[in-house]
Amino acid sequence: MQRRHRRAHTAIWTGLAVALPLLLAIIFASAPKLPADAPAIRLDGKAAGGGQP
Amino acid sequence: MSVSYKPVIWNRTKMIYDGVLLAVIATYILIFLKAGPLLSPALRDVDLPTQRMRAFGSLALLMLTIVLAIGPLARIDTRFVPLLYNRRHFGVMTFIVAATHAYYVLGWYFSYSPTPQLTALFTSNTSFTSVAGFPFELFGVFALVILAILAVTSHDFWLSFLTPPLWKAIHMSVYFAYAAIILHVALGALLDRHDLALGLLLVGGLALLSTLHLIAGHREVGADAAASARAPEEPWIVVGDLSEIAEGRAIIGASPGGERIAVFRSKGGLSAVSNVCSHQNGPVGEGKVVLGFITCPWHGYQYRPEDGCSPPPFRERIRKYRVRLQGSAVLVDPEPLPLGTKLDPVPIPAELLPSASNKEGIA
Repeated sequence: MQRRHRRAHTAIWTGLAVALPLLLAIIFASAPKLPADAPAIRLDGKAAGGGQP
Repeated sequence: MSVSYKPVIWNRTKMIYDGVLLAVIATYILIFLKAGPLLSPALRDVDLPTQRMRAFGSLALLMLTIVLAIGPLARIDTRFVPLLYNRRHFGVMTFIVAATHAYYVLGWYFSYSPTPQLTALFTSNTSFTSVAGFPFELFGVFALVILAILAVTSHDFWLSFLTPPLWKAIHMSVYFAYAAIILHVALGALLDRHDLALGLLLVGGLALLSTLHLIAGHREVGADAAASARAPEEPWIVVGDLSEIAEGRAIIGASPGGERIAVFRSKGGLSAVSNVCSHQNGPVGEGKVVLGFITCPWHGYQYRPEDGCSPPPFRERIRKYRVRLQGSAVLVDPEPLPLGTKLDPVPIPAELLPSASNKEGIA
């Protein structure tokens, strides 16, 4: 590999290794949560697993 | 390597590689569809089209993770180098699997849309201000477009037409495709259902790839920083000792602030060439001399030791460097010679031959 290519490669992976876990944490933290008093039977398909693939 | 461009230059190794790959793909899909509902709660009570989408989607993620792991693995341990040989076919198959996933998604969710399927895909979710509700489909489309470009330009014709530096730069966009797929899966499948296996594949794969790439990168930076020592006489640098070079192999030196240089020993002579293969920047110096030609370990591209040119009718060339011996120390002039310069190998004095030939293995 050429030196410039190697440096670009290292910079990209350093960025991904930092940014992607952060983004994943933000995504999962912002996921809507059911309220404590939510009914056991739901009509939005969550219980039946009928959501997006 | 070939003189004329053919769609695929098949040989036995490539056929075995592709055959194994296809068998594994078919096995994964079958296991996912048949045994998946028994093993994972996320796949129970799900109709077949949805199962197909999930099978091809998760397989595309797995395949891309493996494709991206091959490079650093080969840098860390040479036993993984054979996987590099046909990595482009692996990448093209990854695109086909990802495109199959997209085809099933479009056919299932947008079949009865009053607008065209692609229009519906881009307009059905416009929650751009929401984090968790962000249209994850866009990340999938972005990644698929990149994978398509990479698959189309994977042929050596494009490598030659675009030149290796530009081709390499374009193909590094695969990392951004991977990042988009991570977000696509996290915002889509993982937020929608709690699929432990998919979560492990996503997070584990990301951790594995980040670790492998950073380890491999750290080693390369270390090797760059450890430039070869300067000899007392300008402009020579000391690459190593003759006893470190096994017959048909090379030692690799680093010019100050420049590229790496490989010094091969073959048939009682020393030849210094660039360590960068003109094909895909492979590490020529980690290869060996086969039938008198310096052979790159990645794809078998060959160069004559005396002038760095591929044998006719091939036209690839790598730079040559001046080399000389001072006692048993191997000295190289770090200034490359013009492409195609003929420079006969430096003969190794007879008194140095026995000690040098005792050493076995890769220097």
